[in-house]
Amino acid sequence: MALTWKNLAFAFAGVLLGTLVGVLPGIGPAAGISLLLPSTFHADPISSMIMLCGLYYGTMYGGSTTSILVNIPGEAASIVTCFDGYQMARQGRAGPALGIAAFGSFIAGTISVVGLMFLAPTLASFALKFGSPEYFSLMVMSMTLVTYLSQRSVIKGIMMASLGLVLSTVGLDPVTAELRFTYDTLVLRDGLGIVPVVMGLFGVSEVLLNVGVRIDREVFKTTIKGLFPNRQDWKDSSMPIVRGSFLGFILGIIPGIGIIIPTFMSYGLEKRLSKHPEQFGTGRIEGVAGPESSNNAAATGNLVPMLSLGIPANAITAILLGALTIYGLQPGPLLIREHPDLFWGVIASMYIGNAMLLVLNLPLIPLWVQILRVPYMILYPLILLFCLIGAYSLNNNVGDVIIMGIFGVVGFLMKKFQFEPAPLVLALVLGPMLEDNLRQSLLISGGSFAPFFTRPLSAFFLIISLAILLVPLFKLRSSTPRSR
Amino acid sequence: MMSKADRWTGLFFALFSTYICVASLRLGLGTFHRPGPGFLSFYAGIILGFLSLALVSLGFFRFFRHPEERASWQSWGRILLVVLAIFVFTLLLEKLGFLPSTFLFIWFLLRVVERRGWGFSVGVALLVALASYVVFDVLLKAQLPAGLLER
Repeated sequence: MALTWKNLAFAFAGVLLGTLVGVLPGIGPAAGISLLLPSTFHADPISSMIMLCGLYYGTMYGGSTTSILVNIPGEAASIVTCFDGYQMARQGRAGPALGIAAFGSFIAGTISVVGLMFLAPTLASFALKFGSPEYFSLMVMSMTLVTYLSQRSVIKGIMMASLGLVLSTVGLDPVTAELRFTYDTLVLRDGLGIVPVVMGLFGVSEVLLNVGVRIDREVFKTTIKGLFPNRQDWKDSSMPIVRGSFLGFILGIIPGIGIIIPTFMSYGLEKRLSKHPEQFGTGRIEGVAGPESSNNAAATGNLVPMLSLGIPANAITAILLGALTIYGLQPGPLLIREHPDLFWGVIASMYIGNAMLLVLNLPLIPLWVQILRVPYMILYPLILLFCLIGAYSLNNNVGDVIIMGIFGVVGFLMKKFQFEPAPLVLALVLGPMLEDNLRQSLLISGGSFAPFFTRPLSAFFLIISLAILLVPLFKLRSSTPRSR
Repeated sequence: MMSKADRWTGLFFALFSTYICVASLRLGLGTFHRPGPGFLSFYAGIILGFLSLALVSLGFFRFFRHPEERASWQSWGRILLVVLAIFVFTLLLEKLGFLPSTFLFIWFLLRVVERRGWGFSVGVALLVALASYVVFDVLLKAQLPAGLLER
């Protein structure tokens, strides 16, 4: 399936655009995927998913280029790469740094695709035993995890998740067919579209934040030569790559961990295991190899709960889940069984995509460097224009463009006041499923909440959620200065 | 950690949640046995409201406050102009059509927001409008509005 010319072309387009999105600071994978989404509506779902997933893991490759050459992470998952990657570039070793980042990403990508291939179907068959209460509790747990892990303030995180749930009820009530919060507006009848909301929250708001801020992008002037790491580089990097791959993949499966935390953990781990921890930050290749492998593995790990359970692990997989729904596919444990071509097509394309990235990326580095020189004042009007065209072409409706604009402003204000958009997006995507499972459970139990606590798995998920919510309280208590 | 601004954002969300709860009550909560259309939004609104009040009250305690968390607004003029450009583009898109509105949009951002020269801003705007028309309308068949140019 993945080897057809059409799907190869889609995978190629996905990884290439992904690298571009990764290279460009100010536009992340979430905005990139939502920009590309409307253009996939005319293609079949498998090709579209191949392209969107390619864009996601392609971003992980591209992000490292800017971290190493410019000391500006192309996206947040490459922040750690700046620490030692940029120092290597300053010492004239930009080539091996870029090389090990690409090889590490390739090895991690391949290891984690194998993990995804075995784990996702097993998890999906297990999840077939889930009833409505288990699903409801699992979604509550996912939202709690995302809220807890993505936030400095848990209160603000839960507020955003609640707001997301409120927004998810806009449109026709699925049971009574009553209109909710639509204010006689046609565009709101089908609910708030995930794509315009995400484009606004991640694309437009990012531009608004960057406008006026001078982005210094002086590319480090060095000739990039010898992209192949030498024998010593390989000796130093091989174990960090393996450790980073496993760490990233395992952490990536857990909803809420995302792709940034594993990179920091991998860096910390390598520093702790190193014989020369004091040299970290001065250009150690392990500091590039470990985190670069872990972000790629985590990106693939994020796909496990999305493809097997229909539960997104972060905002990016929430958009991919939204895309599946737009294509008319029902996410959940039955997805792999009912659409094996989609699942195995995406898996196969990921092997090919990772190889494409390795072969294509290294020779294309000079091109990415040139693109980095495009001034932001030219770049941001184009990003905005793509957002506007993308939102309009969803339904050929100006209403979606207005929604995107409003959420652009909302996202900008949220970031200014330190409210994170991820819990909101996750709740917006999970809201309809959560409501459906809650109402079904209550209907079956005759209005009793007991099944949520008496069914073992459901109770387990809820206990974890409660524990996550209580952790900050204990932390607060232990950090309170004791006064006499 | 909380900042002073959290008192105001908390207050805003408290008012917003009150509205959501009242609107949800009007929609109908139903019963636990048969939840109505306003069920989820009502309880989500209650949580939002409760936490907003917590945010407001925590903002009054210095212990919870973060020392330097003041939002900076130095470039607010440019931000407002960009927002204005987005909404004006939305208004003009179907009336004027894709090509003229895109030209005006890009020209406005380059000339008014970025203060580039006339020749540069007109040239780039024209190039971007034509190129995006060819890519999205002709090649990707995005069916963008023709507006004034409609035959």
